[in-house]
Amino acid sequence: MDLRHDPIHKILEALQERAKELNCLYQVDERLTRLDAPPEEVFRGLLDVIPSGYQFPAVCRARIAWEDAVYAAPGFQETPWVQSAPILADGRAAGKVEVFYVQPMPRADEGPFLREERKLIDTIAERLSHHMMQRRLKSSLKEWEIAVKGVPTDRPQSWWVIIEFLRYTDRDLLVRLSRKMLNHLCWNGIEEAQHLLQGFEPEGESRPSTLEDNRPVAKRTLQDFLSHTDEIFRIASEHLSEDEIVSRIQKWIKDDKSAFLLETLENPGRTVADLSDAIQRYRLVGIEEQEMTRPLSTALRVALVRRFFTDDLDFINTAKNFVEIRDFYDLSQRIISPPNSHGKLGGKSSGLFLAEQIVRKSSEYADVLRDIRVPKTWYVTSDGLLDFIQFNELEDVYNRKYLEIDQIRREYPHIVQVFKNSHFSPEIVKGLSMALDDFEERPLIVRSSSLLEDRMGAAFSGKYKSLFLANQGSKQERLAALQDAIAEVYASIFGPDPLEYRAERGMLDLHEEMGIMIQEVVGTRVGRYFLPAFSGVALSNNEFRWSPRIRREDGLLRLVPGLGTRAVDRLVDDYPVLIAPGQPGLRVNVSPDEVVRYSPKMIDLINLETRAFESVEARAFLRECGREFPMFGETTSIVDGNAIRRPLPFQVDLDRDQVVFTFEGLASATPFVMRMRSLLNLLRGKLGVPVDLEFAHDGKDLYLLQCRPQSFAADSISAAIPADLPRDRVLFTANRFVSNGRVPDITHVVYVDPRAYRDVSEPSELKEIGRCVGKLNKLLPKRQFVLMGPGRWGSRGDIKLGVSVTYSDINNTAVLIEIARKAGNYVPDLSFGTHFFQDLVEASIRYLPLYPDEEENVFNEAFLTGSPSILPKLLPEYERLSDAVRVIDVPRATDGLVLKVYLDADHDRAVGVIGTPTVLSEGAPGRSREPEAAHESHWRWRLRMAERIASQLDPARFGVKGLYVFGSTKNATAGPSSDIDLLVHFEGNEERRRALDAWFEGWSLCLSEINFLRTGYKAEGLLDLHYISDEDVTGQTSYAAKIGAVTDAARPLRMKGRGL
Amino acid sequence: MKNKAFNPFEMAQAQFDKVADILGLDQGTRELLRQPMREYHFSIPVRMDDGTVRIFRGFRVQHNDARGPNKGGIRFHPQETIDTVRALAMWMTWKCSVVDIPLGGGKGGVICDPHNLSQREQEQICRGWVRQVARDVGHVRDVPAPDVMTSGQHMLWMLDEFEAIHGGHYPGFITGKPVGLGGSLGRTEATGYGLVFTVREALRELGIDPKNTTASVQGFGNVAQYAIQLYTRLGGKVACVSCWDQADQTSYTFRKKDGVDLEVLRSITDRFGGIDKKKAKDLGYEVLPGDVWIEQEVDILMPNAIEHQITGENVERIHKRVKLIAEGANGPTTPEADAVIQKRGIFIVPDFLANAGGVTCSYFEQVQCNMNYFWEKDEVLGKLDVKMTSAYQAVSEVARKQKLYMRDAAYVVSVSRVAQACRERGWV
Repeated sequence: MDLRHDPIHKILEALQERAKELNCLYQVDERLTRLDAPPEEVFRGLLDVIPSGYQFPAVCRARIAWEDAVYAAPGFQETPWVQSAPILADGRAAGKVEVFYVQPMPRADEGPFLREERKLIDTIAERLSHHMMQRRLKSSLKEWEIAVKGVPTDRPQSWWVIIEFLRYTDRDLLVRLSRKMLNHLCWNGIEEAQHLLQGFEPEGESRPSTLEDNRPVAKRTLQDFLSHTDEIFRIASEHLSEDEIVSRIQKWIKDDKSAFLLETLENPGRTVADLSDAIQRYRLVGIEEQEMTRPLSTALRVALVRRFFTDDLDFINTAKNFVEIRDFYDLSQRIISPPNSHGKLGGKSSGLFLAEQIVRKSSEYADVLRDIRVPKTWYVTSDGLLDFIQFNELEDVYNRKYLEIDQIRREYPHIVQVFKNSHFSPEIVKGLSMALDDFEERPLIVRSSSLLEDRMGAAFSGKYKSLFLANQGSKQERLAALQDAIAEVYASIFGPDPLEYRAERGMLDLHEEMGIMIQEVVGTRVGRYFLPAFSGVALSNNEFRWSPRIRREDGLLRLVPGLGTRAVDRLVDDYPVLIAPGQPGLRVNVSPDEVVRYSPKMIDLINLETRAFESVEARAFLRECGREFPMFGETTSIVDGNAIRRPLPFQVDLDRDQVVFTFEGLASATPFVMRMRSLLNLLRGKLGVPVDLEFAHDGKDLYLLQCRPQSFAADSISAAIPADLPRDRVLFTANRFVSNGRVPDITHVVYVDPRAYRDVSEPSELKEIGRCVGKLNKLLPKRQFVLMGPGRWGSRGDIKLGVSVTYSDINNTAVLIEIARKAGNYVPDLSFGTHFFQDLVEASIRYLPLYPDEEENVFNEAFLTGSPSILPKLLPEYERLSDAVRVIDVPRATDGLVLKVYLDADHDRAVGVIGTPTVLSEGAPGRSREPEAAHESHWRWRLRMAERIASQLDPARFGVKGLYVFGSTKNATAGPSSDIDLLVHFEGNEERRRALDAWFEGWSLCLSEINFLRTGYKAEGLLDLHYISDEDVTGQTSYAAKIGAVTDAARPLRMKGRGL
Repeated sequence: MKNKAFNPFEMAQAQFDKVADILGLDQGTRELLRQPMREYHFSIPVRMDDGTVRIFRGFRVQHNDARGPNKGGIRFHPQETIDTVRALAMWMTWKCSVVDIPLGGGKGGVICDPHNLSQREQEQICRGWVRQVARDVGHVRDVPAPDVMTSGQHMLWMLDEFEAIHGGHYPGFITGKPVGLGGSLGRTEATGYGLVFTVREALRELGIDPKNTTASVQGFGNVAQYAIQLYTRLGGKVACVSCWDQADQTSYTFRKKDGVDLEVLRSITDRFGGIDKKKAKDLGYEVLPGDVWIEQEVDILMPNAIEHQITGENVERIHKRVKLIAEGANGPTTPEADAVIQKRGIFIVPDFLANAGGVTCSYFEQVQCNMNYFWEKDEVLGKLDVKMTSAYQAVSEVARKQKLYMRDAAYVVSVSRVAQACRERGWV
């Protein structure tokens, strides 16, 4: 047979069958319309028409069973070739339709039957069920009419009608209602009802004894209830008002209709897709939550929250008050899940969802918060990751977390590539494709929403990736880019940083599942870019107060133009605008100079042309598209000489005027700050914890992007102050304006003695002190020393009131401490670091004011003035300042101990205490227990290694007079690929030099290998050695100039058996 | 306990005494000029945002108005002391006198920290300040201006209050106002241009053609940029510029031996005068350590950044070719370094003459306000040239004739002018 004809033939055949089926159905329907005909007649009629719908009508016979009767054509004989479908009544099979072939026929889809024939018989059965139900209803209505007429006069209440109606139509429901009513009556303490209830219990046993008995209670059948219905409702009518009974019955009926949802939610076997279906079904049933009883609606809310979000009790407790079932209608439509998914949506999604509901549902601040929006979001459930791994057979990856960290690091880039080259299962791809249709070509952000965040805090969540997508181009391109981004976010779970972090906290064994949020980026198109007008972070607690008038609970906003990445992260070279919502008038920067210096310089945005996330210079951006920028007038100011003013749109000349982002108009002429304050207050109040929000504004609406407890933020973790500190170990305590944090392992204290400082009369000498501090700042180990001084650091006014320094003179300190000593009768005002406040904030340098003259404070002046000062040794040229400036080498003064500063803003307490170091510098190159920012760890490790090399170097054997470290290792700027620059003061012969070279080479190669394992950067060797001779040292030539240099001096290292 | 605390007023008096000795001033004149003529101390009650009332201490010191209405800034500073204000008022008298503008010296302030005050509270302080001294200040008595932590905005609040009290428009009451509201054009250029006007005159005196000179400039802020602009226009060549790098927290020197291009550098400069290292390198500039600007082989050094830049430590590094130092910054040279410079015979244009372009422009602002007629920028800068040139010539003439170091000569000129006015008025 011609192949081309074959399919057509088949199609024609199929169409013929289809026509047969339709014809058959039509005839079935026709017969089923005869409600007044006796059922038997109808059934017999059907037996004639059903075979006509089948492929081989001639050999086809039908049979119908209904309750106890069976109808079949005369001479009917059962055969094994049968197809059957149940006829339902009240959800139970009350009969069936069967079709037989009288002889074996060719094999088709279901035995000899076609797939279409299965549909046909099911449809017929369904229509029959429907017909039988109509029949029953019709008859019960008749009976009901009779019943109503016969209702005794002592039952005038209209609700009896319902009971009677149910008695004929839905006895099961009536039984359930009766039981609920009986229970309700009992709980209301109605004795008669209690008696009745006891009547249901086995005879001869009274209630109390049965409760204490271990024997199971004998059960009565439900039918008993039915017989007592009348009595139960009679008792009810005597004790309850008519309204109450009616409303009870109504609610119970609604409850009954909604029960399927609870059943689905509580059934652990049901998948996420089942849940979504059940929610949609519930939606279609059209029951409002107010119509059901409170316990059921609460149970549903709790079950929904638990299935989609979290088992965390605190979260559920709050959520159940705000989250309604209807809130899940849209959410459940935007969930992408693998088949058989039991996943959740993760921490980030939960936080945002709950915050959104709180904002929507609370009556507080409703007028100002009403219009706050949340961007459209799709979710991939947390087990999407497992599905991805299974689908691509990547199971090996699970075991990797138990590898050594160096191996993890080495393999990570490979993992990323493997993930990015893997595929998603068809279900996920379909879901993502739907999501993209929904988002259209709006830029997207793919964020991780980890389940572990709940336990570990955001210091952790920050370790996973969030990726921006321009989402431009063909659907195929966009889908590919989205899959690529999700794969990359998935891979980040197996990155060395999060795994190391988890290992350190004993969380490695927990199974990490990560949900994905695909969120549309808030913003508008501006020229070739896409960005919000501004974004930012809002914090309930202000941990960086720049004025004593600002209270901690006044909160903090960090605002930037464009995408919020620059507000979330700390950037040393750029600044967000800071506002305390509780004190919006008090700005960090006051003079035009300050305002300009500390205004945001860069904007993060999405370039729609290059389809990439970019950082663009604010000035260039404004020149290019300032005219189109939404909220230009609210976000910018014009700098005009020594005046700063808000722009009037027509007066701005973008080419000539100096435009800076200040958010002045936003803060002073719009309700924005007040709204943010209300939002912070509301969420803090309802969630019971200080919150950390991310938000963005597209020029029209304010969007909430994230909400999590503030304690998650790394900066906000208060240090528990150890109890019972021995008084002699305490260097100082503070009790005002304390921020949060912990600074361990301080090895040096630079102490500018307030009294000695006051006694310096020469202004030039006071300036010298500032310069001396600046040099110490370059010399001492970064972030391992504290600066303590009188009054206001960086004072630009009367130099007597504080050491004259600029930020670069103090930028390496760990803590900046201002001491307010009483002078006569008054305590001087402190600066709160205002002169370089934003620099301190961005560099995470702690600020602490001390009030030593307040009685409750400890101030161990004896230690500060009595311990030996190493200033003359460090900077001989400043020896004459020894009275005023003291540098204390803490380990040396305390036999190897260090200073630790604990800051606890929650209790407004801080303490500086002498204790054992966390990291032993002489120990093996172990991991430090404190998590370090990635960029910090490189130089610390290098410095530790340099110290280690020195401690192993035998100066006598090799003829080495001195060993120094300089460059990036000393300056704390070393990156993962940096060398360690060593300066070797060598005075020996050729032979020694060769031995020394060999010795260093061993170290160099070894360190290079370790560095590779730590960072993935390869190098020939890590040490960069610079030899200098005695002549160099005396002549200050070559690198010897670095020794004792005024700026950027090389730092001496302690060699084996030698002092510094 | 002995209190040897540093007192800025005593220091200013000591400086005056030295000049008075050179001039041989009589006792009466000395006593008059050692002290301010009038001081106002007052309280400014302010209703704070939270409803409480706080009292702020305000001052106005009028040091000497023999040559014309007092002129000087208003400072908002938390540790303001009356002695600081007195010293600054005295310095204003000398500064106005050295450029020969008909104004005396004054200074004022309020003890407060604007970082702790909202805009509304600051406005109340400004208005309160004016209410206390409204009868004793004004365009013919005492003319305030912006200073530490006060800006054009503060001046406008003060002006508004003053005009409300006096019932009329008196834009000449205060300077430092924005252009369009009584401000003067040319203010941005004034200090940098003024500096180069004096450089031009100094070179003329030294017999050097600016076209044959090269200069090394420290700083790349407003003053430096306009100085470079004008100096280059005169034919000079700027070999290097040093400036602060915010990210690295250190300074760098950008050198191009055949002369830097101002516009090119500006295009790669952030708002704070920080030049982009990498872009500069790509454009063929050498990027050197920040402190090497001082050792360049050039004819002219222009320290235009901050104070104490030429010190005992680095003064010896000044190249032997250097013939002129023009101090665009305030106090860039320490006394030790000054002594060395004097000994080496390097010609110096001292700071309070070299950077007097700013105060001169403030004077022009006031003049324009008083006649309610505002000049074009060219006219402002032209008049600035005239003023600076004649101020320079007066000082250098004294230096030449009296064989004085330029710095001393400048003081001598300014103090003698004030003393002369007092005498002619018959005060002493």
